[in-house]
Amino acid sequence: MVREGGVARLSLSGCDAIDCANAAAVKAEALRLLGDVADVVIDLSCVEYLDSAGVGVLVGLFKNARLRGGRARFCGLTPGVRSVLEIIQLDRIFEIYDDVETAVRS
Amino acid sequence: MPKSKLKREAAGNAGETLPDLAELCRIHEIGLDLIERSHDVDELLDRVLDEYESRLKDLPSDALDARSTAPHPASLGKLRGLVMFATQAAALKEKAIVAGELKRRAAMLEAANSRLDGVLAALSSGVMIFSAQGAFLTANVAARELAGAADDTALANLIAHGVPRGGEAEIDVPIAGGGRRTLLVARRAMTGDAGSEVVLVTDVTERNRAVEERVRLEKLAEALKTLSVLSHKINNPLTALLGRAQILQAHKTNDPGVVKAAAVIEEASLRIADLIRELAQVVKDGRQGAVDELLDMSAATPPTTSRR
Repeated sequence: MVREGGVARLSLSGCDAIDCANAAAVKAEALRLLGDVADVVIDLSCVEYLDSAGVGVLVGLFKNARLRGGRARFCGLTPGVRSVLEIIQLDRIFEIYDDVETAVRS
Repeated sequence: MPKSKLKREAAGNAGETLPDLAELCRIHEIGLDLIERSHDVDELLDRVLDEYESRLKDLPSDALDARSTAPHPASLGKLRGLVMFATQAAALKEKAIVAGELKRRAAMLEAANSRLDGVLAALSSGVMIFSAQGAFLTANVAARELAGAADDTALANLIAHGVPRGGEAEIDVPIAGGGRRTLLVARRAMTGDAGSEVVLVTDVTERNRAVEERVRLEKLAEALKTLSVLSHKINNPLTALLGRAQILQAHKTNDPGVVKAAAVIEEASLRIADLIRELAQVVKDGRQGAVDELLDMSAATPPTTSRR
């Protein structure tokens, strides 16, 4: 994770899939890294697959930022991730940007 | 399973099994709850995210996993329930954002109106606003006080009938304690609001009085200037006339007519000299009352010829 100004950049690299096998661990590690950070840009460009547990992780991170009075912005969506979010309409609920720079500037 | 197929499955094809009736009722109830909360996007999102979390936990892993070749029909049923909820939630979130923006702009407008009301209230000049249709909309306190109108309708009628659109005029209105005041009323088109008018009302009673007083003082100054010139011009020949009359009287002569004529000339000259002195005093004082008094006195004084 990298902090730039008041915004943290969190890259979910190292896991091409977030599913029931690793969702709990990914969420716990992400929350540990974020600590009390409120504004975060989450880079999903390395994630190819999500199942319902993986989507739950994203929802949890989004809620965590809101609870801290900040924003969670997602970027770098691969086709597989975008498709899943579109199916359950989370692309209309989340803040989604094409890339990290755009998300940070927004 | 290909993404496109997963999407079709999630949306549900005709003839396929929908979520059961209890689930449909629950989704309906959630929808009503979301509508209740949609006045505030944050409140709505809190509820939506809780519901997402709850439903995602309940959703079998294979329901959304594109790697899964054949999701269980029960998984698809839950996924369809989630999609039905999500569709409502997403639409309401977008509506809530629009509603929030409208609310924000309405608040800004309200604040701007409050500021304007404050400014209008603080103005000593009266200000009234008329709509494009000529209907009276509002007036500040000063306008009501100046016009002395019992109500807004009377005030509007007073303006509408007394002053042409786009023009200005002075109108007289009664004062509550007696007397009248003069108002200068100007009707002007409002910028940016086609047809609407702003009406400015100013009490010009005192201004008119001041103008009259100024005109009177200017006339007085002119009269005093004339008197000053006159007294100077008359005094020189008068001195010569008086001197000659006194010379005549000093000569020993037995002609009673000459003696009497010299006395009359001297008396008249002295009277004129007195008048000149009074004129000079008036010029020195610069008082209108003294001018009037002098003129009255002059009119009352019999001409010298009548005293012969």
